[in-house]
Amino acid sequence: MSALRWIRWPGRPQRPQTVPELFALADRLRRDGRTADAARLVAAGLEREPNNLTGHLLAAYLHLAGRTIEPARREFRWVLARDPQHPRALLGLARLALEENDLDACRDSLTRALGLYPDFPEAQALLGAIAVPRPSPAPPPPSPRLDRLRLPSLARALVVLGADGGVIAGRPADVKGDGDRIARAISLATAALQRAGLGAPRRAFVEDREETFFLRCDTEITIALALPRTTHITQGLLEVNRLWAAARHELTVRPEPGRVEDGGVVDRPRRTS
Amino acid sequence: MTRLRLGLELDGASRGRQVHEIVQGLARLPSMRGALIVAPDGFVIAAAAPAGVAVEPLAALAATLGRDLEVGASRLGRGAFQTAMFSADDGTMFLAATTIGFVVAMAEPQANLQTVRGGLADAVTMIEAAWVGTAAAGG
Repeated sequence: MSALRWIRWPGRPQRPQTVPELFALADRLRRDGRTADAARLVAAGLEREPNNLTGHLLAAYLHLAGRTIEPARREFRWVLARDPQHPRALLGLARLALEENDLDACRDSLTRALGLYPDFPEAQALLGAIAVPRPSPAPPPPSPRLDRLRLPSLARALVVLGADGGVIAGRPADVKGDGDRIARAISLATAALQRAGLGAPRRAFVEDREETFFLRCDTEITIALALPRTTHITQGLLEVNRLWAAARHELTVRPEPGRVEDGGVVDRPRRTS
Repeated sequence: MTRLRLGLELDGASRGRQVHEIVQGLARLPSMRGALIVAPDGFVIAAAAPAGVAVEPLAALAATLGRDLEVGASRLGRGAFQTAMFSADDGTMFLAATTIGFVVAMAEPQANLQTVRGGLADAVTMIEAAWVGTAAAGG
């Protein structure tokens, strides 16, 4: 307990004496964002009671808060090995599975949690966000002729997603990694915006240290344009708006079948609307 | 027992209050609906949420989105995720990464983009100064 000497816990005249008190205080510190203090208390509690389920669950949360994924996963699994239906551990594993793009495992964990606790709000929200996209009853939209679209000279990539989140066109060709990432971000953002009462997403940007993705979307297509991080936000949004309008135009134009040029079917456009 | 090795060095209950003040300050910006800070595990650290909005599910989604953007950026080798904006029919949501989690801000459709971005950047700077600065100084 010597490591805890310097920790202050306002409103508590006594230091925590029992392990449950230690964990209760650790949880309070965690709620205040005092993660390292909470971690020290949890470590001290688990030294005294190594098989305490609450302690291991708190340890998992604290590892997640510190973005250390494997130890968090071990702790959640430790909890589930002793309580296979623990809803918070199932939610934790679901979030880790989602980070690793394992949607089936994520869905399985959430479904198990909701099977026992149907009103679990976080699990409901996440399951809604990763719901399998329903295929549109209409035929998939034709791929826009991206070679017609004039990209800004500094653009690294352009990705066009269909209503189901699949890549329907991209430049350069190997943009599937970007496409998957954008589709999932849009799906999660859509759910978050709805939860916040803000409606359906229309425009977005995502800034990394090196570049910014500008997005424009509606119910049919999403356009994402990757530009250098130095691009002015307004300029990037204008560029992606222009490309979105051009791509929408291309989607109203279908290739005329039967014309052969250079050994292949020519995408000779004709308006269908 | 798993050893907990976390990069954060926190002490002082004042920082708990400070983070609440940061959220309140952000929520008081013109045309703002509310703000919250969520830990990467989806836990709500501080919230000034608009009436009628269920905070826990929103926090879970925001943290998942933030982690997804972080992991995606790092996996594609483009450095750390910093900020995102999602503009919708009835308002705009901003998300910014910090050491302790994610700052989420919700704004009216007419909110000034630069004002909100400035407020968000200030909030991130204050959080980093409060947490990382103290850690660097030895806790």
